[in-house]
Amino acid sequence: MDIPDCEDATSALNLFKVTTIQSGHTVLLRLPSGETKGFKVEKDATVSIGRVGSFRANELIGHPYGLTYEIRGKELTIQPPHTLQEVEETDATNELINDGEFVQPLTLGEIEGLKKSGVHASDIIKAQIEQHANYSMKTEYSKEKYKQRKEAKYSKTFSTVEPTIYNVCDHWFKKDQNRIRDIRPDTLSQILNLANVRPGGRYIVVDEASGLLVSAILERLGGEGRLISICDVDSPPAYPVMTLMNFRKDVVTNIHSSLNWATAQEDYTPAVAQESSSEVGKSERHKIRLDKRKNAADTLLNAREELFAGEYDALLIASDYDPLEILQNLILYVAGSGSIVVQSPFSQPLAELQSKLRLDPSYLAPSITESWLRRYQVLPGRTHPTMNTSGSGGFLLHAIKVYDDPNASKVSSHRQSKRRKKEADGDSSVPQTLESFETAELEEEDATVVDQATLLVLTDDTTVVQQVTQ
Amino acid sequence: MWSNARDIAAGDLVIIWQTRELIQPLLITPGKDLNSRFGYYRHADLVGIPYGSKVGSRNGKGFIHVLRPTPELWTMALPHRTQILYLADIAFITSWLDIKRGSSVIEAGTGSGSFSHSVARTIGSAGHLWSYEFHEARANKAREEFSLHGMADIVTLTHRNVCKDGFTVDDTVDAVFLDLPAPWDAIEHAKKALKKTSPARICCFSPCMEQVLRTVNALNDSGFTDITMFETLLRPHEVHQISPQPLTQAVEKLKKLEQKREDKRQHQIARSSKRKRDDLPETDTDNVGGKRLRTQESAEEDVGIRDIPNAVVDPGQSASQPLLIKMPVSKVSPDVRGHTSYLTFARLVPTAPSSVTIRE
Repeated sequence: MDIPDCEDATSALNLFKVTTIQSGHTVLLRLPSGETKGFKVEKDATVSIGRVGSFRANELIGHPYGLTYEIRGKELTIQPPHTLQEVEETDATNELINDGEFVQPLTLGEIEGLKKSGVHASDIIKAQIEQHANYSMKTEYSKEKYKQRKEAKYSKTFSTVEPTIYNVCDHWFKKDQNRIRDIRPDTLSQILNLANVRPGGRYIVVDEASGLLVSAILERLGGEGRLISICDVDSPPAYPVMTLMNFRKDVVTNIHSSLNWATAQEDYTPAVAQESSSEVGKSERHKIRLDKRKNAADTLLNAREELFAGEYDALLIASDYDPLEILQNLILYVAGSGSIVVQSPFSQPLAELQSKLRLDPSYLAPSITESWLRRYQVLPGRTHPTMNTSGSGGFLLHAIKVYDDPNASKVSSHRQSKRRKKEADGDSSVPQTLESFETAELEEEDATVVDQATLLVLTDDTTVVQQVTQ
Repeated sequence: MWSNARDIAAGDLVIIWQTRELIQPLLITPGKDLNSRFGYYRHADLVGIPYGSKVGSRNGKGFIHVLRPTPELWTMALPHRTQILYLADIAFITSWLDIKRGSSVIEAGTGSGSFSHSVARTIGSAGHLWSYEFHEARANKAREEFSLHGMADIVTLTHRNVCKDGFTVDDTVDAVFLDLPAPWDAIEHAKKALKKTSPARICCFSPCMEQVLRTVNALNDSGFTDITMFETLLRPHEVHQISPQPLTQAVEKLKKLEQKREDKRQHQIARSSKRKRDDLPETDTDNVGGKRLRTQESAEEDVGIRDIPNAVVDPGQSASQPLLIKMPVSKVSPDVRGHTSYLTFARLVPTAPSSVTIRE
């Protein structure tokens, strides 16, 4: 990929990601309908955007992301930023407005004719408005909405969308949220913060969300730090989300290593024996092949050694495999006080996981959260939450890895020994009922004491209460 | 920012986790002690142990966990001087504003530094944060903290009223975050400070809708585009174990209850007829006893099925007492935050390269 000289030389991001459109980039375009779509921008090629038109890719190369363009012929002209106009207040209502076939009388044929003769979209819309039976009766807001709908249909403008992890996640969430496990941008941002993802950090990720987590972590690392991803396929999986991020490949290879579940086991040995390429009598092609294999084997060895050396800042999991098994496999490699973040589109697997982790002294405060997000349309006189919204952004479980000290006594055992002593002395002032457990004991994240919330519920279920009072 | 070493050293700032509600910062100072609800600890005992260790108290009164500070833990532990930002808002704002390694960011006002710590962590030493606070004492306290936490290279704190006097940089930052009572007064200043040749973004954080509407107008008048607004909240879940009881158990218990009542009634009849035969007078005590018995009976009748304890499962028992299955289930906690603030976002479109024609 060519990096033009016009780039800001002081930007640290030069190392990792370019801030202008380059040949070879897959660029997100926002179409008049509001939809975002990815298009490959290759030098000297043509980019074709369906109904909106087509243009030469070279027109975009070198431009900063985020501009709006209009297609005229095969050329692009930049449109100045469009701000909102004040819309007048109105007394109009829809009392007398009747919908029907003949409200907008321009036929499809007539409209196609206008388009073909090169009439500008705004003039087509004007023609429609002039002939519209009800237009003058509409409220000003309704007129605005009508104009915008028509613009979405006939306009030949589009914008480029900067491939920030927010925009890319948002694009994928709208297009195909199942493939990213319902990870909505707000949830993704929480994953990154909970896992303390930062430049220079070191992370392990199990990403079955089409590479969304890998992309997000790489973005935040900015070329500085380490990421090991573990997958269930032979060679590194195609992480389709990464295509839109337009990372510099050489930088990514330096920070990102990949292992699969077999090669991530400490007792794994490769099935194929290594041949030496230095033996005499081998063809050049054979030697190249062997060198390639040796490089791959070395890369694998290095990745394994690095993983087993541990002390990773966090472990991030978005996988359909049993999270408890994944944790059992990888928790050793997470540093003390490191974060564990497990994502699921469903709450039940996390509830099950939490109920098990709660009893394990290696996990501090396993907690489940769900993110709520509401977007508002903010237009003069028309401010309200958007009519369409997302029902769910998935669920997260967060815990902190800790080192247990089996000798550290819990408060309850201290109090129990006190109570036993008191009873032995004939002191009946210590009550025998469940309520004698004080809140402090209940709040302890102790291996054998269930937490307060559960205890309060358990008093309704008398079978389990008996077990607790033992 | 904070220590990256594996083990705790003297002079480190650590986070002491006692309970979910009791999380505090501690500066490790050998010679000093920590006295808490969970016992007594010596700072010196914490030196040399790995971060993340569970430590028992010296007097056996419980334990604590000693953690490495992160901005998330700091947000939970920091001393509040003002209302602070929490995880959901911080994370979402950071993401929408595309704050990442190397970003240049402006924040006004600094407040208690919750957002500041998160931004400093995310941008790293390759980025910079200009933070402004108009309250002198708070500005000084924040500056102290930034210094103590190793952030002084990344964060420049200025005591200044940005609405009146603007910012201290021009055409420099990728993102501006305004947490002010009247952000519309700072919009024009923000525009000056933002970069003009690459994508730039702004976020205004306001609790009231009236503030949002004024802010939107100001953003629009200044030429910002893509103005939008969000609110975001975290819904914590709590996990319970439930054991759905089989109905057949209820049926059995009710039948037994009815039988017991009938047996008691028969017993009563037998007793009173015996008394009649023995020619004993009906005394008041009998009546009282009868009344007492009756109230006991009616009390028993009022006893709910759930109050009768289940017998411990005995494998020798009949099939009417099956093993109860425990299910872990979760539900949203009853205590949820209802509102923090509205997040108003907008973009400043970069100036096109001069080689390209712009439509008039």
